[in-house]
Amino acid sequence: MSEAWSPFGYIVTNLARFIRPHEVTFSGVNSTLPMLACLLAKRAYPFEFTYINVAGGVDPVPSAIPISSSDPVLAEGSASIFANEDSYDLCTRGRMDLCFLGAAQVDGQGQTNVSCIGDWHHPKVRLPGGGGGAVMLPTARRAVTWRTEHSRRTMVEKLDFLTAAGGMHGVVTPIAVFVQRDGRLALQSWHPQSSLDEVRARTAFAFDSTGAAPTPPPTPEEAAALRALDPDGRFERDAGIVLRKEAAA
Amino acid sequence: MSQTSFVPLSELAGRVADGSSLALGGSFLHRGPFAFVRELIRQGRRRLEIIKQSPGYDIDILCRAGAVARTRAGIVAMEGNFGLAPYYRRAVETGQIVLEEHACASLTAGLRAAAFGVPFQPCGGLHGSALPGLNGWQALPDPYGSDELTYVIPRIAPDFAVIHANEVSEQGDARVFGTSHWDRIMTRAAKRVLVIAEKRVPVEAFRQRPELTLVPHFMVEAVAVVPQGAWPGSCWPHYEVDYPAVEAYLADGDEALQAHLDHAPEAREVARV
Repeated sequence: MSEAWSPFGYIVTNLARFIRPHEVTFSGVNSTLPMLACLLAKRAYPFEFTYINVAGGVDPVPSAIPISSSDPVLAEGSASIFANEDSYDLCTRGRMDLCFLGAAQVDGQGQTNVSCIGDWHHPKVRLPGGGGGAVMLPTARRAVTWRTEHSRRTMVEKLDFLTAAGGMHGVVTPIAVFVQRDGRLALQSWHPQSSLDEVRARTAFAFDSTGAAPTPPPTPEEAAALRALDPDGRFERDAGIVLRKEAAA
Repeated sequence: MSQTSFVPLSELAGRVADGSSLALGGSFLHRGPFAFVRELIRQGRRRLEIIKQSPGYDIDILCRAGAVARTRAGIVAMEGNFGLAPYYRRAVETGQIVLEEHACASLTAGLRAAAFGVPFQPCGGLHGSALPGLNGWQALPDPYGSDELTYVIPRIAPDFAVIHANEVSEQGDARVFGTSHWDRIMTRAAKRVLVIAEKRVPVEAFRQRPELTLVPHFMVEAVAVVPQGAWPGSCWPHYEVDYPAVEAYLADGDEALQAHLDHAPEAREVARV
């Protein structure tokens, strides 16, 4: 591809690449990028999978792409309503194949903090909180998270609070894709405009990088699907994701 | 149980005493009982406990007005492009309110305990999380011999469940279109159920599709019909989120809050009368 791969497109596309044929994949609240990834996968990949979401949709055909990932438009065209309790119960009984879960901090084991920065009882920043993670991360077959900022304060050696254990299967940031290997996050690939050295410098936990390489660029189908989902670049502008901080200046 | 009453919004909110615990229906900006929440603020309610898996605008505006003492919540945010709920966040950070942090499913388990008439309810997952330690949740061994340890969540029985329904019948049955979010379990767990509805329709419409009814009338204490009552959130399929109104709400200062309250559909309705 001739033009640079935007960090927004990089995250959405690489989240979509975790979706596998014939599986059940879930996206929840506060999850615009995974919502776009699921919708991208439906358009770009030549296989069937079941997309369920927190608006109750089961393989919906939304008439518009909503700003809120829990918007009821995400149940449009759905032949059933799979309510929130259903999604959680599906997960705890071990039948959720892939679950996208948010995180503020991720550690080297793929555990997450979505609760607070600083001490829980006297937080510097009160974050959204428990949500899906504490129950879904240890019970989903695979869970994947994303961070729009890749830094030593988001990719940490020690979490400020351990909201959810169980370990992420995958993590996508603006510059890297990690997958779980032997209970630790290992680097799978880095953004073609980044480098192994940069990923190491911006990650506070140690990780294995055996076999890691630049991320394969988006296929024509992936690129076309993302353009169709965000034709005027509204989602990309709203997300405001940068490759690295200097680039934002 | 006695017959469901139809009352004005002010009277519905008036049934909630200071210090009550309220389970609020909907999720984030979608189909929440927001006109009711604003009415609580207009009436100067204090020391409320808010119980909800995914509150956002509702808990934020209640914290902003100083109406909340305590909350049990799973995930709190304005969502969309708005991020964290700023007044809620400040209320927790400054100790203005006490938070019992849940996973959405652990809060549901506590509500299920109340709904099922048992003192606690098992909840899957949670292993390894610091939340059980924080909240004093116990893990029990399987009395039937597997080696599984399961966390049990104590009963959560709110004084009220307050939900925003699409339609009510004249006898007080309530139904919603699209996902019911967490409304169903809230109405089974709470001691009293209050409903705000977009509109009242003949019970015959309910009799034709009884499977759509979320709450039968004998469980509903009182109803207020408030068109646009979920504003600035959505109420599928009637209206979408009013994002400019949410943005205006988020502006700093008491004047912004007052302007937001005055601009609400239920306030304009009263002004016209």
